[in-house]
Amino acid sequence: MTRSPTTHRPIEAPERDLVRRAQAGELTAFEQLAGAHTDRLYAVVVRLVGDRTEAEDVVQESLLRAWRGIGRFQGHAMFSTWLYRIAVNECNRALERRLRHGVVLPVDEESIQVPAPADDGPASQAEQEELREGLDTAIAGLDPPYRTALVLRDIEGLSTREAAKIAGVGEAAFKSRLHQARLKVRAALGDAALVAAPI
Amino acid sequence: MLRALRRGDDHAWSQEHLSHYVEGDLSWRARRRLELHAEECPDCNRGIRAVRALLRLMHASANRASAAPADIFERVRADAARGGTDVNQAREP
Repeated sequence: MTRSPTTHRPIEAPERDLVRRAQAGELTAFEQLAGAHTDRLYAVVVRLVGDRTEAEDVVQESLLRAWRGIGRFQGHAMFSTWLYRIAVNECNRALERRLRHGVVLPVDEESIQVPAPADDGPASQAEQEELREGLDTAIAGLDPPYRTALVLRDIEGLSTREAAKIAGVGEAAFKSRLHQARLKVRAALGDAALVAAPI
Repeated sequence: MLRALRRGDDHAWSQEHLSHYVEGDLSWRARRRLELHAEECPDCNRGIRAVRALLRLMHASANRASAAPADIFERVRADAARGGTDVNQAREP
């Protein structure tokens, strides 16, 4: 289920050219470079902070930091990995701010959307909806490091290596978080509901 | 008695390691231990299917994520117009 099998190769020529132009201050090159990742980045951030308005703020701030820091990007990692790392750091800052101010946000009901098969009956769709809401709540209830592992690897489908780099931990530590997160979400949803789900 | 204890140990251990099993993160010996237990344990057998279903559910949930707002580069553009400076502290992974 890994979505980016090309993650580990060195930065490629077209991207390298865009990086070079962005580093020279060309805004359109930066927008082209980062714009290829903004939809997925936004989706990840919505799941990590649980609120669309705050997610937009976090992504805007992440892009600004990336733009200002593009001169320091040396191409050892993929540009997307670097950008995601900035965004995850920014999410953590936002969550810490929220914690300091004691703000509790409701779970964004639209943040996780599971498409129901078109031929499902009403009962099946209701079960699907219940499971979707349960998944949403269970993920939102995870501590941030566990949520980050689950979102990057299991929802976004990044490779373990890339997701670990983005999370800023080694692969073994990342996997440990991932398995713990799955265990908690599985416990919250229940094996019977998962096995019976029309997924 | 010892066999029953062993079965109990295997059950608790297997329940903790179902995700590792599905992910392929177990050694050959550990994998065999879990499979032998799951052959006799309906709960763990169902647990394996539950982990796989959970992975499918989460994977499917990514497919209809919303697109980023159209003005997502607004701050970058404003910064560029002001002649933004290099103050970023992000380290490359």
